[in-house]
Amino acid sequence: MVASVAWMLAAPFFLQSDGTVDGARELYVHYAPGGVFALLVVSLLASATGAVASERTAKRLQLSMVRPVRYFTIALAKISALVACGAAVLALSFAVLVVKSDLSRKCCHVVKPTMPSPAEEAEAMYKSFMADPATPPQVKSARKSVVLRLLANRAIDNYQTIATNDSAVWKFSAGGEGEAVRIRFSSQFDMRRDVRGVFRAPGLEGVVSNITQAIVTIPLRRTAPAAGDGATRSADEPVELSFENRGTHALMLRPRRDIDLLVPADSFLRNLARSYLQLVAILALLVSFGVFLSAALGRPVALFTAVVALVVGEMSPSVVAQYPDELEKNAVDRIGLALTRFAAEVTRPVSSLSPLESLATDACVEPRETARVAVLDLLTVPLLLSLLAAVVMPRKEEDS
Amino acid sequence: MDSGKNVIELVDVRKTFRDFWLRPSVKAVDGLSLAVGRGEVFGLLGPNGSGKSTTIKMILGLLAPSSGKVSLFGLPPRSIEARKHLGYLPELSYLHPFLTATETLLYYAGLSGLSRSEAKRRAAQLLEMVGLSSVAGRAVGGFSKGMSRRVALAAALVGKPELLVLDEPTSGLDPISTKEVKTLVKALSAGGMTILMTSHLLADAEDVCDRVMILNHGKSVALGRVSELGTSLEEFFLAKVGDIGDFKLAPFLA
Repeated sequence: MVASVAWMLAAPFFLQSDGTVDGARELYVHYAPGGVFALLVVSLLASATGAVASERTAKRLQLSMVRPVRYFTIALAKISALVACGAAVLALSFAVLVVKSDLSRKCCHVVKPTMPSPAEEAEAMYKSFMADPATPPQVKSARKSVVLRLLANRAIDNYQTIATNDSAVWKFSAGGEGEAVRIRFSSQFDMRRDVRGVFRAPGLEGVVSNITQAIVTIPLRRTAPAAGDGATRSADEPVELSFENRGTHALMLRPRRDIDLLVPADSFLRNLARSYLQLVAILALLVSFGVFLSAALGRPVALFTAVVALVVGEMSPSVVAQYPDELEKNAVDRIGLALTRFAAEVTRPVSSLSPLESLATDACVEPRETARVAVLDLLTVPLLLSLLAAVVMPRKEEDS
Repeated sequence: MDSGKNVIELVDVRKTFRDFWLRPSVKAVDGLSLAVGRGEVFGLLGPNGSGKSTTIKMILGLLAPSSGKVSLFGLPPRSIEARKHLGYLPELSYLHPFLTATETLLYYAGLSGLSRSEAKRRAAQLLEMVGLSSVAGRAVGGFSKGMSRRVALAAALVGKPELLVLDEPTSGLDPISTKEVKTLVKALSAGGMTILMTSHLLADAEDVCDRVMILNHGKSVALGRVSELGTSLEEFFLAKVGDIGDFKLAPFLA
C-alpha cells in the first residue's frame, strides 16, 4: 500500500512527457496507476500460486479440509481475500488519481468506421486473386488458410488514398452526434506533409489545417442547416462522415486504425470507476488462475506455469504478427508457429486488457464492456476455477 | 446423521499407493475392518510404517481408500455433515505462526461454523482449559512445542466435536502436560465424546484407551480391550509385532 501511494506521488517526477499539460496528464493517468497495477499483477500472482500449495506443504491445509467447509469455499475464500487486498491497494492509488485530476473532464465513445471485418475482406480479396490469371502460381498453390491469414493482416493495414480535391466517405454506427474526429498519421512520411481538408457529418463540419502532428483531434462545429438536414434521424441510423482533401498532396489513411469519431459519453469520474472495476476484474481473473494452479500443482511449478502463461500471452500476438510466413516451410517452425497462434487465439495479453489507455485519452471505458468483464472475470471465472480447484484439491492432498 | 452406535466404521479397507506410472508401489493398509462405538476411547497402535497415519487420513477423508468402505456416523468421511462432528489433532501442530492463540481458535471456530460471539466465548473457555489464557494475545509462532500442542488441542475441540481424532497427542509434552492431556481425554470421554488416538507410548494407550488395535504391515494383528490382552500392553505389543531388527548395532558396539 505504501509502495503504491509512493509511486502515485512520485510518478510525475519520473515520467517524461512531451512538455504539454495534456501530454503530462495523459502519461500520468496511464502509467501511474499502470505501475501499481503491474506491481499487483506480479505480487498477487506470486501469492495466489502459493495460496493453497504453501498451505499443503506446511500441512495446514488438512486442518481446514477436515472442518465442515466445502473445498470450493476454501478456494473461493482464498481468491476473494487476495482480490480484496488487490482492490484495496488499487483503490488507494485511484484515490490519489482522483485528488490529482480535473474532475470536470468528459469522456467520449470512440467509434470506428463500419466496414467489413478483415476476414470478410480477406475472403473477397482471395476470390479475386484466385480468379486473376496474373496471380503467381506459388500464391495459387499455397494453403488457403495461410493466404487468408496474410490477406486479413493486410486488410487491417489497408491504406485508402484520398487525392487532392477528392473526397472519401465512411459510415459510423455512432448512436449519437459526433463531437470530434480523431485522425492518426502513423508514418513519418505523412507527418512531414501538411494536411488540409474538411470533415463533414450531417449538420457538422471540422476544418483540418496545417496539421503536422501524429494524432489530431478535430472538433466538429455546427453548420447552418442545409436542405434535407432538418429530417429527423434515428439513433440507430449510421452517421456518414466525409473528408475532402484540400491539401497539395494525396492523403493516405488506414480507416480501420486511423479514423475515430468521438461521441460525447459521460464524466471522467464515472470512466474512472469503470476502469477501476475492469482492473479489479482482471486481477480476479489472474488470482483465480493462480489459485487453481496452486490447488493442482506444487508452489514452484504453479508459479513457473503462471509466469510462462503470462509471458506467452503477452508475447504471442507480436510473434504471430511479426514472424515471416516463409519460415513455415520448416516443420519445426511450422509447429512452433501453430502453437504460438493457438496461444494467441486462446489468450489475451494482460496489458491489452487494461482500460488505462482509454482512461488517459478520455476514451469511454464502455459500460457494456465493463459489465461483460465484471460478469466474466469477476464472477464466472473465479466460480468456475474454484469448482475445478475443489475437484483437484483432495486429489493433490492425497499425493502430498 | 446415523443414530447407530458406531461412530467410525471401516469394512475391509485397503489402500495401495501408486507410483507415477500408476503401478502399485506400497500396500499401506490391507483389509482392515474396525468399528468404534460412541463414547469409546480407541487406540491405534503399531510401529512406524504400520499404516496408522494412512488409516487416520482415510477416517478423516483426507485419503480415499483403494477399496472397502469407511464411514463416520454412517456417512462418507468427506461429507460436510460428518465433518461437523469431527475434531482433529495432527502429529505436529501445523499452526499459522503469525496468528495469536485467540485468533487461531477464532479462525478454526469460523471454519467450524460457530457464530462470532459463540466463537469468542468458546476460544476463551478453551484457552482457560489448556492453561494458555495469559498468553492468548501472543503469536503462536513464538510458543514452545508444548504450548503449540495445547493450542492445537484447543483448536481441535473448538467446533464441539463428537469424535476427536488425536495423532500422537502427547508427542513433545513434558510429563506433567502428558498427564494433563490424559486426564482431559478421560474427562472428554466421560462426557460422551468418542476418541480415536494413536500413540507410540504404550503406557499412554494403556492408561486411557478402552480398546486398542495393533497394526503391523497394514494389517490388524490384535484388537481388544487393554485388560483382555493379558500381560502388559508393551509385552503384548512386542510379542505381536516382534523385533523389527532394522538397526544393525553390532559393528558400532564392537
